[in-house]
Amino acid sequence: MRRRPTYITHPSRAVNPADIQVYQNQLLLGALKAAREERLTLGLEELPQDVVDVLKESHELHVRWAPERPYNTTVPFLSRISPGLHVLYTPLKEDQPDRLCNLLHQVLGPGLRCESPQSTFTSPALISERFAQTASLQYYSLLPSIKPLVAYLQRKVCRPSDLVCLHTATLLNIADSVDFDYDSISHTLTLTTMWSRQPDIIYDPIGEFTTLDAWNLDIPRSGSDKVEVGILSPAPAPEPSDLQLSGFLIVVGEDDHPKPTLFSFPSRHHSLSLDQSKLQRYTISFDKPTGLHPILRISFASASSLTEPKNKPVGSVCALQTYLTLPSHIFADKYAFLSNDPLFQKSHNLGRLRSITGETDLEAPNYVVNKWGSTILLEIQTPNDRESNHKDSAGMWDVTIPLHLRYLEPTAGGTSTVEVPWPIVFWACTAEDGTKFPVNPFDRTQLGYDGLFGPRTMFYHLNPAPQNGTIVERIAVPVLDTEVTSPRTIEYLTIVSIALGFLWVLFKLRWSTSRTGSGNDGKKNLKKKL
Amino acid sequence: MPSLLASVFSSRTSIFASAFLLRAILLVYGIYQDSVSAIKYTDIDYYVFTDAARAVTWRSSPYDRATYRYTPLLSWILLPTSWGGLWFHFGKVLFALSDLIAGWLILMVLKRRGLQEGKALKYASVWLLNPMVANISTRGSSEGFLCVLVMALLWAFETGKITLSGILLGLCVHFKIYPFIYGASMLWALETRSSTSTSTTLQSVLKFFNTNRILFISASLLTFAALNVLMYNIYGPPFLQHTFLHHLTRIDHRHNFSPYNTLLYLSSAQQAVPSLAGASAALSLESLAFVPQLLLSAFLIPVGMAKRDLPATMLAQTLAFVTFNKVCTSQYFLWYLIFLPLYIPNSSLTARPALGATALALWVLGQAAWLQQGYQLEFLGRSTFVPGLFAASLGFFAINCGILGIVVEDVAISPVMNVVAGSRPSVSVSASASGSKPTSKTETNAVSQRSTDGPRSSRPRGNSVLDISDITSVHLGPRNRVLKSN
Repeated sequence: MRRRPTYITHPSRAVNPADIQVYQNQLLLGALKAAREERLTLGLEELPQDVVDVLKESHELHVRWAPERPYNTTVPFLSRISPGLHVLYTPLKEDQPDRLCNLLHQVLGPGLRCESPQSTFTSPALISERFAQTASLQYYSLLPSIKPLVAYLQRKVCRPSDLVCLHTATLLNIADSVDFDYDSISHTLTLTTMWSRQPDIIYDPIGEFTTLDAWNLDIPRSGSDKVEVGILSPAPAPEPSDLQLSGFLIVVGEDDHPKPTLFSFPSRHHSLSLDQSKLQRYTISFDKPTGLHPILRISFASASSLTEPKNKPVGSVCALQTYLTLPSHIFADKYAFLSNDPLFQKSHNLGRLRSITGETDLEAPNYVVNKWGSTILLEIQTPNDRESNHKDSAGMWDVTIPLHLRYLEPTAGGTSTVEVPWPIVFWACTAEDGTKFPVNPFDRTQLGYDGLFGPRTMFYHLNPAPQNGTIVERIAVPVLDTEVTSPRTIEYLTIVSIALGFLWVLFKLRWSTSRTGSGNDGKKNLKKKL
Repeated sequence: MPSLLASVFSSRTSIFASAFLLRAILLVYGIYQDSVSAIKYTDIDYYVFTDAARAVTWRSSPYDRATYRYTPLLSWILLPTSWGGLWFHFGKVLFALSDLIAGWLILMVLKRRGLQEGKALKYASVWLLNPMVANISTRGSSEGFLCVLVMALLWAFETGKITLSGILLGLCVHFKIYPFIYGASMLWALETRSSTSTSTTLQSVLKFFNTNRILFISASLLTFAALNVLMYNIYGPPFLQHTFLHHLTRIDHRHNFSPYNTLLYLSSAQQAVPSLAGASAALSLESLAFVPQLLLSAFLIPVGMAKRDLPATMLAQTLAFVTFNKVCTSQYFLWYLIFLPLYIPNSSLTARPALGATALALWVLGQAAWLQQGYQLEFLGRSTFVPGLFAASLGFFAINCGILGIVVEDVAISPVMNVVAGSRPSVSVSASASGSKPTSKTETNAVSQRSTDGPRSSRPRGNSVLDISDITSVHLGPRNRVLKSN
């Protein structure tokens, strides 16, 4: 196992190297306010057998998880995904019996709707068959808590006596992102966990003390394994496409003092400048009443501020985009978008549909849909795209995306609640030729949307700004109310009505056939009636 | 003013000119609305057809377009829509012209049945000047195109062109499955008048297969089979799946006018989620829905009525088929509306205006009640499945059954007509074979004479024409919108 902890402090709180205590087999540093990333690289022999079994059938497997509460990003951890569990997977063979869903159920909870990769996963769009940048299958599920993973690690990975292991695992509960990456070339599994800030409260079970609002670093060297600790702060980068970090690197067990460092690297993911990122925050809501055709609304507080990133490279071309991850109960009518009708786009402030994949059947109810759902990449019009209409640029800027709900199972009460994760919104900008993102030691790919762009694309992420602390929307869906009328009553009433209607027509018909040839009678009859 | 109206309704040119103008205006208005508004006048299905036509120009299958569930013929006919520019609206023009041709055929059939030009025109304008019909076809719904085929089928049959009507029937059934029910009534109507009253079963079976019937059956089956083999050879299994098999496997759970709808939603959910099933085990009963539907529309109504009044029989069959169907949307109403002008001259709905007005009002109110519930569900998100929508669809079903009862009864009191029964078709077949037209013509005249003597001409008709066309202005727009948004 290789461990690589990285702590990123605000430049104003840069660490004094004298505070870092480096011993032969241990590193100590108290009361650090910082974002943190833990990267563990594990060989197959270090993993539980059921995990190994699945990984051996995988060409590549990438798991991404984000919580339902918002968090602030920090250089260099700038990427964003919709809250929930994202899986990108390429099986080794096309038609192998696949146990991935079983493993997901074991590790992340039995509640996940996952039959098998063939039936549940969707195939992301490929921009190029030859240079496929993304895995062949995609899966998503809402997953409000990563607790099942913590329990799995404590049960299957930690020794029951290993207090540190048991305790460290619980830290995942407050993580802001959890990634697993495996590929069949390196045969290693990487677990990358990121906390955007120090925990409010943390208890050390060995030292038996509690720390408030800070990390306490006590990083031992474990056996022969290398531990490379970074304690860094962001610094202004020389190139707009680059990020720069300065601070100290310590290899525990090798180094006897913190080694000062300053390095920069190109990054796929960026944030906007401080003022721009405040002005371009977005809020998601559904227009009320939602009915069966909810309209998702992306609201920006200031239309006039919705401009390209100021910190983009010179000559870079940008477009504002949104990437929606829609569970199967909600979907978009792709033909409404594909028509590229300028009037439709203008009325919704939308641009071109860049990609729509997954379950887009317009008719199927949710209970017969096997796939997990669909993803949509859409361009967003900005006020600047409409030079003619200046009055729009005052005040808010709203983008609306018409969606549809599938029918859900009947319930007692007549309403079901479904959840929709907030989409992410970003400026996609071109990077210069020759920019080599993979040299970034914190590079993060396989997020679903990145594979839909060319390899030299930069993402300037906008921050979600929820009113109520969650970036998952809840919609009440009307369903058949089994309390008002029982299924049996519906059945009987339907059958009785059909039977009566049938008999009524039959009666009229019999009356007619019994009078065959008696046209004159009929005529008389009618005349009498008149 | 009344005299002016009368003269307008009596002139063939003015009726067809107004019908043409009505459609032309709607067409141009539709193009205008589409160009300025995000809410399109054009029917959503029209985009399906044109996408499919575009797929065909790219030499791929029309079934590459999801929800294209029609014969490839339709996408072939609409190929010009892919030429760009105003050609996009070619299909709507075609469908609107189909309306006019259907109207002309209605006129022909009415006149053949002995109505004077003026009266025939008046009834034909129930179709020709009906804004609902004009609206549906100019929005680009293909139902109007099917209607002209069905009316051509009836016209061919009524004029004794047995082979042509067989071919048209095959084509109609290939286009949409339901017209096969007309095969039953037409077969039944093609009876040889028997002189001997006593016969064994074998004899009567043999007698059933007279020349005309064999001709009709073979022409329709050959056309149907040939078209299907052709399409299957070109497009393979997707053709079968989308054109025919889809209708067997679809779930039809989304709310529509059908009385089965709530039950279908419930049972589809119970099949998918067994835990829901609970106590109710007999829910697969809806798979027997075709029994009453087909018994009525393909057997009982043809046998009981076809020999008396074929157009009214076809109206009753279609009404029964649509009313007892597992899925029913507003476009299906056009299927029976086409026969209305042929039925009302002879109908107690016009003979007794109070009855006619009540039936019309109930038909409209039944839909209005359903639409109101549907609106609450779709747009306000209220769970109106039960009791609202359920009751509304059962109510609408009852109203339709009531109207169907009136139609059936009306035919019952009419005499068995020689127009459709017995020797006439064989005469005209031999006439067309030998080229001696006078024979059939004299007979037609005789028939006309007889029918003008009948009860229909002596009855007051009220202003039924205006009544019927009013249906649409009342509610077509909103209804279509609600349904389209599904």
